[in-house]
Amino acid sequence: MKPNITLRALALGLVAGAVSADERTLTVYTYGSFVSEWGPGPGIEAAFEAQCGGCDLEFVALDGGVDILQRLRLEGEGSAADLVLGLDMNLMAEARELGLLAPHGVDTSALALPIDWQDDTFLPYDWGHFAFVYDTEQLATPPASFAELLEAPDDVQVIIQDPRTSTTGLGLLLWIRQVYGDAAPEAWERLNERVLTVTPGWSQAYFSLFMNGEAPMVLSYATSPAYHMAVEESERYQAAEFAEGHYLQVETAALLKRSTEPELAREFLRFMLTPDFQRHIPLGNVMNPAIDLGDELPEVFGRLIEPASLTFTPEEVRDNRRAWIREWLNASSR
Amino acid sequence: MPAVARRASPLALAAGWLALAAVAGLGLASLAALLWQAPALSISDLWREPWLAGILRFTLWQATLSTALAVGLAIPVALALARRPRFLGRRLLLRAMELSLVIPTLIALFGLVAVHGRQGWAAPLWEWLTATRADYLYGLSGIVLAHVFYNLPLSARLMLQALETAPAAHWRLTAQLGLSRGAIWRTLEWPRLRSLLPRLAALVFTLCFTSFAIVMTLGGGPRSTTLEVALYQALKFDHDLALAALLALTQLTLCLSLWLVALTRGGTPRLVPTAGSGLPGGRWWRRDALGVSRLHDGLWLLGLTLLLVPPLAAVTLAGLYGLPQLPGRGSLWPAALRSLAMALGAGGLSLLLALALLAGAEALRRRGSRLAALAMEGSGQLILVIPALVLGTGLFLLLRPSLGAGWHGYALVVLVNGFMALPFAMQVLRGAIPGLSAPEERLAEQFGIHGRARLRWLVWPRLRRPAALALAYAMTLSLGDFSVIALFGSPAAPTLPMLLFQQLGGYRWQGAAATALVLLMAVVLVFSLLDALSRRRPRYPFRP
Repeated sequence: MKPNITLRALALGLVAGAVSADERTLTVYTYGSFVSEWGPGPGIEAAFEAQCGGCDLEFVALDGGVDILQRLRLEGEGSAADLVLGLDMNLMAEARELGLLAPHGVDTSALALPIDWQDDTFLPYDWGHFAFVYDTEQLATPPASFAELLEAPDDVQVIIQDPRTSTTGLGLLLWIRQVYGDAAPEAWERLNERVLTVTPGWSQAYFSLFMNGEAPMVLSYATSPAYHMAVEESERYQAAEFAEGHYLQVETAALLKRSTEPELAREFLRFMLTPDFQRHIPLGNVMNPAIDLGDELPEVFGRLIEPASLTFTPEEVRDNRRAWIREWLNASSR
Repeated sequence: MPAVARRASPLALAAGWLALAAVAGLGLASLAALLWQAPALSISDLWREPWLAGILRFTLWQATLSTALAVGLAIPVALALARRPRFLGRRLLLRAMELSLVIPTLIALFGLVAVHGRQGWAAPLWEWLTATRADYLYGLSGIVLAHVFYNLPLSARLMLQALETAPAAHWRLTAQLGLSRGAIWRTLEWPRLRSLLPRLAALVFTLCFTSFAIVMTLGGGPRSTTLEVALYQALKFDHDLALAALLALTQLTLCLSLWLVALTRGGTPRLVPTAGSGLPGGRWWRRDALGVSRLHDGLWLLGLTLLLVPPLAAVTLAGLYGLPQLPGRGSLWPAALRSLAMALGAGGLSLLLALALLAGAEALRRRGSRLAALAMEGSGQLILVIPALVLGTGLFLLLRPSLGAGWHGYALVVLVNGFMALPFAMQVLRGAIPGLSAPEERLAEQFGIHGRARLRWLVWPRLRRPAALALAYAMTLSLGDFSVIALFGSPAAPTLPMLLFQQLGGYRWQGAAATALVLLMAVVLVFSLLDALSRRRPRYPFRP
């Protein structure tokens, strides 16, 4: 009798599977902190499912933007994803070359980015500047420019991240390259005297070291203080504004050519540029929303620094990343 | 004593070969998948990376130094713990020693920085003593300190386990003879440790060699990196599968040759009867436990406490502060249960594989195939020396079409975690597996005690405690794992370490500390529960 029961259970399972497959499912590859309970994911999922009329939004969480790209490469044409969400500008060129992505076809007039956005494949959903966040209890007046940071007294130490393993680390590499051009190696040599240590990721730098008071400054985002001010109600951590401008990070989503739900996916992309999606970004992802949220923008975002934006094109990053990393290694290993 | 002809169980042999095939299959197949996907392959590619030689030199140096200190210092600590079977807080100290292995590096780093950092608790003392700034956490000294923090307790715990399995009769004898410290060391302690040391050192070396976040965070700059960074860059940024596979092969070759040396040095385990009654050795009066040795032992134990407890206390304190921030909406307890269930699966798998490999190796040894026995035992280390990144990518390439979301991913994580915990489980079990001594076996043959009865009455009583400890280590290793689970991607159902990283990604660092505290509690629970379960004396029903 036993096999019978198993068979019946199996059949039941199949039927159940078939029923739930009736619902349209949209699979989105993204990164872990986006879908976490504290991230914007749950709110966005609820809002989208409420308006799409019987669909299921399924986030698949990977480690970070680099891992999303890696997963696309490994899966190729057979990818289960309809959308990828979380590729920043520095990954765009390589992602485009895979030939797996389709034009988004979304009206971008609502976008409110610090730069002009023309790309027809990648649609931004948030942005932020890289910045050095400092502890006001340790540092009363932070350096006002890179030049001042390089000249700062010995006790102004910074914690940075490795450009080979971290998005923020790569951001600093590009930032310095923008500001100093071919003189970047010399700038790095001087900056290295200020560097306490180079961590593999943002979490080690921010959490293990900076929150323990190990150094007065850490490489992070200009939006980081918004979290401390809004959620912890503390003014202690602020971002230092540099006169040379700050390197910009724009996070984007893109549609896969082989998506089985292209219509639903485009609906999601259009939804992405509405307040129902964007209101979850400022305090959920601790980044700036990609559209003008008006009154809905949390008040603390008005108290953040508003520096000038520096960028390289995605193609420039792709072509030079290896050489610039080598340059940094040379300058840092002496 | 003439060698006794001993039967090699065909069942053990078959199980051993099966386990070997599984381990080697998984490990080598994932590497092969990478190589097979790689467009072109040339060994000279490897040297295109001019940093490789420097990285290797540094990695070897820090790993050697860390291993020497962690294992070397663990010896007096383990001896002191064995000599003092009863003192206030001994059990707590043992629990703390078991914790250090499984703390996620991020949390361990937080604790270490809170104590040894420039603003740490120990900084004023350091500045008063040396009149210099407390910068010792950054650079080689910090890396070594962190590795000693991780590995000394593990080493001392395993050594203690080996010392405690010394037969009660031997301790009775030393008590009767009133042996001095030196004599006990020569006759009892050293022989037990000697067979353990090479493999333990190899295990610790492997852990230090493949350590990634600690070396980078505390190293101070790109001079202190490991092979894994080069691998990460090759695999993720440059999508250079060939280079990644070659780097993995480099690591594999280095670590496996080390294991080969260790396996041939340790000698076959001595076939002495172990304390079936479960009496810890130290219950007997020991002359060497008196007098000035009280002071020595006290100092060593104090040293261990100072190494271990303050960072753990810092983590606990932060966790207590973060308790109000513990994840709501009921995601914490499901995550904890999910983690425990996966850990149980991985731990059980690891235990079974370890038993199969060790029993198989022993059976091979009895047949006189020493080399095959070595290979079988050595295969247990294979997964540990293949970088998780390579293992994950390779498996992904192999299983791609069938790897759906949902439980597939979790099953794969359980599988890989089980394999990764193998070296730990084997290390714990190794002393227990040789089974019966020749006289015991003869006796058993005479009485016709075979098969299940022999397992139940002769083998199991002396296996249960090491098996419980092995299971506990394997389970907690899987509990704390993040490297594997992060590779496969998952829907919204996180495990505890994933939850912790998600919290950090969302700036909830105090909440993350609270999650870490829950994770540590889970580890304590696993060790205590398994310890209690295995401590219960086997009941021998009396049937007149």
